Amino acid sequence: MRIIQHPILGEYEKGEKVHFTLDGEDMTGFEGEAIAAALKAAGIMIHRYTVKEHKPRGLFCAIGRCTDCVMIVNGQSNVRTCITPLEEGMIVQTQYGVEAQEVWEANNK
Amino acid sequence: MIKVIRVAKIEPFIEKEDDGMIICRCEEITKGEIRRAVYEGMRTINEVKRYLRAGMGLCQGQTCQRLVQNIMAQELKTKPSELGMIQGRAPARPVEIDIFSNNITDVKEG
Amino acid sequence: MRRHELIVIGAGPAGLSAAIEAKKAGMDVVVFDENERPGGQLFKQIHKFFGSREHHAKVRGFRIGQELLQEAESLGVDVKLNSVVMGIYENKEVTVKKDNAVNHYKADAIIIATGAAENMLPFKGWDIPGVIGAGAAQTMMNIQGVQPGSKVLMVGSGNVGLVVSFQLLQAGCEIVGIIDAAPRVGGYGVHAAKVARTGVPFYLSHTIVEAKGTDCVTGAVIAQVDDRFQPIPGTEKELSVDTICVAVGLTPMAQLASNATCDIALLPQKGGHVALLSKCGETSVEGIYCAGDVAGIEEASSAMIQGRSVATYVCLKAGYLSEEEFQEKYDRYQAALGQLRQGMFSPENKGRNDFTVTDEGYPVSSNLLAHGYMTEDELDNFPAYTYKKAGVHPVIECTQNIPCNPCQDSCKVGCIKVGENITMLPAIDEEKKCVGCGMCVASCSGQAIFLVDETYGEGYATVAFPYEFIPVPQVGDQGTALDRQGKPVCAADIVEVKKSSVMDKTVVVTMKVPLAFVNSARFYKAGGQRG
Repeated sequence: MRIIQHPILGEYEKGEKVHFTLDGEDMTGFEGEAIAAALKAAGIMIHRYTVKEHKPRGLFCAIGRCTDCVMIVNGQSNVRTCITPLEEGMIVQTQYGVEAQEVWEANNK
Repeated sequence: MIKVIRVAKIEPFIEKEDDGMIICRCEEITKGEIRRAVYEGMRTINEVKRYLRAGMGLCQGQTCQRLVQNIMAQELKTKPSELGMIQGRAPARPVEIDIFSNNITDVKEG
Repeated sequence: MRRHELIVIGAGPAGLSAAIEAKKAGMDVVVFDENERPGGQLFKQIHKFFGSREHHAKVRGFRIGQELLQEAESLGVDVKLNSVVMGIYENKEVTVKKDNAVNHYKADAIIIATGAAENMLPFKGWDIPGVIGAGAAQTMMNIQGVQPGSKVLMVGSGNVGLVVSFQLLQAGCEIVGIIDAAPRVGGYGVHAAKVARTGVPFYLSHTIVEAKGTDCVTGAVIAQVDDRFQPIPGTEKELSVDTICVAVGLTPMAQLASNATCDIALLPQKGGHVALLSKCGETSVEGIYCAGDVAGIEEASSAMIQGRSVATYVCLKAGYLSEEEFQEKYDRYQAALGQLRQGMFSPENKGRNDFTVTDEGYPVSSNLLAHGYMTEDELDNFPAYTYKKAGVHPVIECTQNIPCNPCQDSCKVGCIKVGENITMLPAIDEEKKCVGCGMCVASCSGQAIFLVDETYGEGYATVAFPYEFIPVPQVGDQGTALDRQGKPVCAADIVEVKKSSVMDKTVVVTMKVPLAFVNSARFYKAGGQRG
């Protein structure tokens, strides 16, 4: 949930409202905020599935150190969504191992 | 000095209930695998790192280093300080290979 | 390769302070930071700092960060963001990843100010989405403006755990509990008290056994531990949470120092592996220095002074300061650092748990350490609490020796005295007459000062307390007063609400309560049973 008013910080400075997609679904967020922030605001918890055990992972350190939040952004894997700024039209996909869902599923019948 | 003592293990490896717990999140290495590595002769953190890849993932051991040290210390009944620190080496953070091909030795101002 | 007289690695409080000091002396300095924004962890700190005026006491962390940045900008300090220092090589060559290229630099001196990383606690299910570091919670709330979750379990009762718990409450989240395997609260008593009075339970001598859930956290199982910190079977308790926040300490990020072949040692007092440093912050490699948390875990206030102190020595070596100029600055900075490194929580006292009396000889509150709040019996030992006077007067519930004195400066009448040694507990000057302005209530970074008037009349008393949540109570509101443990004690009517820019978002709220509850009523909640 977004914090609209904070007792100390007041209102947060946000950029323009922008649209992006997550696994094909339409989403909205604010330009320049971390992709992970827009996802968290929408209640998304799972960012990727691990390579070996196919376990779900999500935000952990939120400062770009642990890489648990990486997703495929505009076709590029291993993008740290907690520190990458959101842009209009971004195509964000849940990362399966290091690949997109269709590729992983095809390889792991 | 790090004391490195290797003795052939005669007794069998004892499994424990929490062996399945993930320790190295990046490479998905479990507590059991680390305990087994120590059983099989790894005595320093750098050896465990090379043997299992624990600490070689994208976070370069930032999350798991202390945890691996604690597990090893417990197994070897020694202090974590005897196990060493993951040797710091360049690059300190993961860097894509294609960036290495873009080497600027005469950095311009700005 | 491009040569600089000084390369500072890290634009947090230590790095920026060092660069400012060097630039002022005339050095050619550049700062590299791997992040998108400078300031390190400083901008996430929305609480008021401790210390004295020279340590920025009473100022919120992020404002200190803004001032530091402004000073750096006005001096023209070159801060290169999104610049990852990859390695330090022979002859102080430094490679930096920036703009998809590897840039080569060479320095005459390097100050490593890379800070610290959070420690982790592995438990069953700690890799499920919903388990986050305390720093992550801060980033999400205070930078991104998003709640990390709605029902949170905080693991760890050190200052980070306590401060972040309070911030989670301010962000509108519910704290289901704060647990710590130790039998006592690790952080400042006042940080624990301000959380406890909102009703958050402390579970000391407890550890987390399991995070439940498959795709995300749906619950947490905690258990009591014995004196070897092992879970006691049969004491498991399941709490309904969607977020588990881990705050179990920090470790210096000494990898670059190790890479540069500096001598490293494992020093638990410092938080882990650190480079061995001379008095002036130099490592075993000539010309390479460390400052800030990377040299040993302390506070941002210490990091800023350390940065300046180390830079002063670098300036001397580079010929930008004379011996006299260096000595004057160095002594001044070391004195300021010394002031901060005193008291119950000083670096040399780290890990000590045998305090029984304060420096003044008053018995240390054991309930505070065991449960996060003080009992009235324990408070009765402290003169600044028991002091009574007709009319409004301060009641100070500050009972641990911590270097801090904004209360003294805040009182225009001179009611509150701390003295030369800022770790002394505040005392009330009986000769002075309190005017009830509320400045002390708002200025106490620990939110431990109240204004009380037992003589309000008609069987009532008033209690003024600090309030940093929204919605702010309004005059005329009727609700319930809570005690130090957050338990409802009596009906409360709001009679005054003071806000001013000088109080910087701490609102001073005065409630009217029956006289019998004047010593227990310390917080307020809207609604509740009346009569």
